[in-house]
Amino acid sequence: MHNHRHSLECILPEHMLEQIATKGSDAQKQMAMDNISVVYQLRAERAMRASLADLFAPTMPRAADGGKERIIYDVKRGASLPGTAVRREGDPASADVAVNEAYDGSGITYDLYKEVYGRNSINNNAMRLDSSVHYRTGYDNAFWDGKQMVYGDGDENLPAEDRLFNRFTIAIDIIGHELTHGVTQFEAKLVYSQQPGALNEHMSDVFGSLVKQYQSRQTTTEADWIIGAGLFTPNVNGVGIRTMKAPGSAYDDPVLGKDPQPAHMKDYVNTPSDNGGVHINSGIPNHAFYRVAMEIGGYAWEKAGMIWYVTLRDKLGENSNFQQCADLSHQAAGELFGSGSLEQQAVKNGWSGVGITIGGETPEPKGCLEATLRFLGAA
Amino acid sequence: MDVERIKFERTGGFAGIRLAADFDVSDLPDDLSQTLRELLDALDFPELPAKLTGNESVPDSFTYIITVEAGKWHHTVITGDAPEDKNMQELLELLNRLARKKIKKH
Repeated sequence: MHNHRHSLECILPEHMLEQIATKGSDAQKQMAMDNISVVYQLRAERAMRASLADLFAPTMPRAADGGKERIIYDVKRGASLPGTAVRREGDPASADVAVNEAYDGSGITYDLYKEVYGRNSINNNAMRLDSSVHYRTGYDNAFWDGKQMVYGDGDENLPAEDRLFNRFTIAIDIIGHELTHGVTQFEAKLVYSQQPGALNEHMSDVFGSLVKQYQSRQTTTEADWIIGAGLFTPNVNGVGIRTMKAPGSAYDDPVLGKDPQPAHMKDYVNTPSDNGGVHINSGIPNHAFYRVAMEIGGYAWEKAGMIWYVTLRDKLGENSNFQQCADLSHQAAGELFGSGSLEQQAVKNGWSGVGITIGGETPEPKGCLEATLRFLGAA
Repeated sequence: MDVERIKFERTGGFAGIRLAADFDVSDLPDDLSQTLRELLDALDFPELPAKLTGNESVPDSFTYIITVEAGKWHHTVITGDAPEDKNMQELLELLNRLARKKIKKH
């Protein structure tokens, strides 16, 4: 593992908070003091979360036949997980479209990992794939809770003209995205904050997109590289939640605002929100992967996907940053396809295209102090 | 409880789209402001810790920041996506809905 000086853990650094707490106005002092305690709490929480996978590992349900086993549960708009089992492995299709989407999507995700990467489920030990649909009311989200996937129905509780989101099983890459959070939990264990958190999101977007491409047998030029296509209702001006091809251009809407993703390190976003912008800065490695896959060509899951899978499985650690991901994916490409191979050259070029030089030192993103002060209301 | 303003922010989630709103409670319809006050009372909001435990964020889950103001007094609570307290669940659902309506007007 490479060791770089800058971990970029610059969200609310204590020295800055302490300076504000000492020299700021009364209101700023109070806010800084409040935030210092939050920083300490978050740090303890991160350490705790890093050991989540180990905690869960012994209790994960295993597929009965040691292969693919799915169970889809209906939470019936409640919050108590997992809910009632409504479709098990091998059962005929349900009348409920969300149930079928969760079943089919988790099945294709299992197939991609098994058939292409030789991985037997999320933990590579035949973990059963549990999914719950119809979670809560008006819940416009999907998440991986450490043990299973959970999907909301979007804005089903609002009048049609106010709805922005459809059900979250509607796009198969969302299902692949959530399952990949599970894979990351068992492999690199990337901490869900700052650059490691953005890499965690990035890996989920990469394999989510590859699941979709694998399902339709699309080549790199046939793929749309959009994450969450079909999730927005027609009320939203946008093609999806994110785009790996052109981060920052997925939506531009009077209600939701504009897609905030950068495609280059020069536009890296420093923010205390969203665990340090994990869903924002993932645009940078997402675009790097897109460039790598386009340069290699063919089916992205075969070569580019294999390089990224090996990087996730064998190379990255819980605190890896973008520079390390670039260096380690370059190393993986060399091991898989040969030093100086076209594939390894594509990896180098892909990262270069987003402002990261293999073996170099990524410049410290600017604007950390400004972001901190803005968060504290001091600037 | 006595409450004049509520600031609400939701971040994270699969979509990573921030939702935020700032309500003057007196601008809300009477039934909604009454429900809000009842939920805050039931939660004993002023006594809640700044960060609720047992709600640590998991991949793609939401994080909520709720600030309640009355005169010069204010209290901020950060909570995760799946609070066990039914009143907090209701409060989050109500604030989500209000925030969506608020955005719609602008």
